[in-house]
Amino acid sequence: MRLPPFQYLAPRTTEEALEMMSRHKGKVRIVAGGTDIVNRLRQRLLTPPYVMSLKGVAGLTGMKRKKNELVIAAGTTLRHIEEAPEVRRSFAGIAQSAGLVAAPPIQNVATIGGNLLQDTRCLFYDQSELVRHAAAPCLKQGGKVCAAVKGNRRCFSVYQGDLAPSLIAFDASVVLKKAGGSRTVPVLGLFSRNGRHPLTIGDDEILTDIIVPIPKGAYGSSYQKLRLRSGLEYPLVSSSVFLSLSRQGVIDQARVVVGAVGPAPTVIEGASLFLVGRRTAEVDVEKAAESAFSASRPIDNLALPGSYRRKMVKVFTKRAIEGALLSLQKAGA
Amino acid sequence: MEKMEKNKVTLRVNGETYDLLTYPHRTLLEVLREDLELTGAKESCGEGACGSCTILLDGLPVRSCLLLALEVEGRDITTIEGLAAGGRLHPVQEAFVEHHAIQCGICTPGMILTAKALLDATPEPTEEEIRRALSGNICRCTGYAKIVEAIKAASAREK
Repeated sequence: MRLPPFQYLAPRTTEEALEMMSRHKGKVRIVAGGTDIVNRLRQRLLTPPYVMSLKGVAGLTGMKRKKNELVIAAGTTLRHIEEAPEVRRSFAGIAQSAGLVAAPPIQNVATIGGNLLQDTRCLFYDQSELVRHAAAPCLKQGGKVCAAVKGNRRCFSVYQGDLAPSLIAFDASVVLKKAGGSRTVPVLGLFSRNGRHPLTIGDDEILTDIIVPIPKGAYGSSYQKLRLRSGLEYPLVSSSVFLSLSRQGVIDQARVVVGAVGPAPTVIEGASLFLVGRRTAEVDVEKAAESAFSASRPIDNLALPGSYRRKMVKVFTKRAIEGALLSLQKAGA
Repeated sequence: MEKMEKNKVTLRVNGETYDLLTYPHRTLLEVLREDLELTGAKESCGEGACGSCTILLDGLPVRSCLLLALEVEGRDITTIEGLAAGGRLHPVQEAFVEHHAIQCGICTPGMILTAKALLDATPEPTEEEIRRALSGNICRCTGYAKIVEAIKAASAREK
């Protein structure tokens, strides 16, 4: 299947790119690695008048360690992130997320910015034009009702990015630039929780950097992903966990983030109750995982039934907590 | 919309340089197959899921169906046609033939290029590393046992 025609924009600097975004506001789509957008173009889920390439823009790849943070440029490939010794050592959950995206040939070109900014997905939406046109359009296609929960007026499409849960677990932020301005928002703030328009980035903004604070003291992290086979899969449920210890050897921060159950990653606030304030041997993994189960309501719109995926939220959250505890121990805590 | 215009692009494929004019919405796979008549890379699923369109970009396996041709200007592209040299097959190609790792052949160019990239980076991979490297390439005929055997043999031969 051919891609729909578009005009190609090839800015050389960030300023030029921002100016183009502003001049053609709402009519430009960005191609970075291309692994997500090219398919969306092919399926005619997107038919933008302009596609802007960022390959000629300097400064959009690589990582820099600053005093208290790691700054990852948005155009850095997932392979680069997964293989960087610093990320593997200090941000295990993020390295694991990058290494579990699709398969190595995708990780070789796909970027962290593109992975974060992917649209939500649904069995009734991510189909060829032919299949979509065989039925009435769903909410996300501009129709009146949801096709997955028949007749419902809410869109239940699922955010299936692998990186966001781990970046949220590490309390990361993103830098969004536009002509004449820039803002820094927590990664969680990128999500609207509305399946029809799941991202809050403006259509004249470009995500340029991801800022990950370097945690103090001893800490551990882990990312776990449910998929049908060990390659080429979006998560059907995912769970990312970050735990840190106080000097007294008590867990002082715990962030449990579940992905692929709704239009945005979910921070499981209730899990902290069973983790924070306890020594590692005293945490109640079972109850913490149970709170993730209670907070998740996946429905039947991906390759596995919602009821099964909900049970797996508990299983994978348990594994992620155990993985984070293990990485804490390895860190010498 | 403004009138569609072709863009100039210079591609370096298998060591040769090509100056081309192409529409920006054409994929690298389309340009390789239709303009350069390099039909080794195949279109199978057409959505990045199968790996039969694999080429090497600066030595790394990637999907040519998910890349716009204009995006790879200035990069080194290797297709399956670029592996044999001096009338001799590449050791990975020879190993695939000898170990019957080919049946219908549609996945083979992608499998061989992926294996070559793996062996260039990791001359003696473990079976797990071989299987992870191949996890983005789907074969619908033989299963993967003979392909893994062939790659192990090629690894031993290169030693």
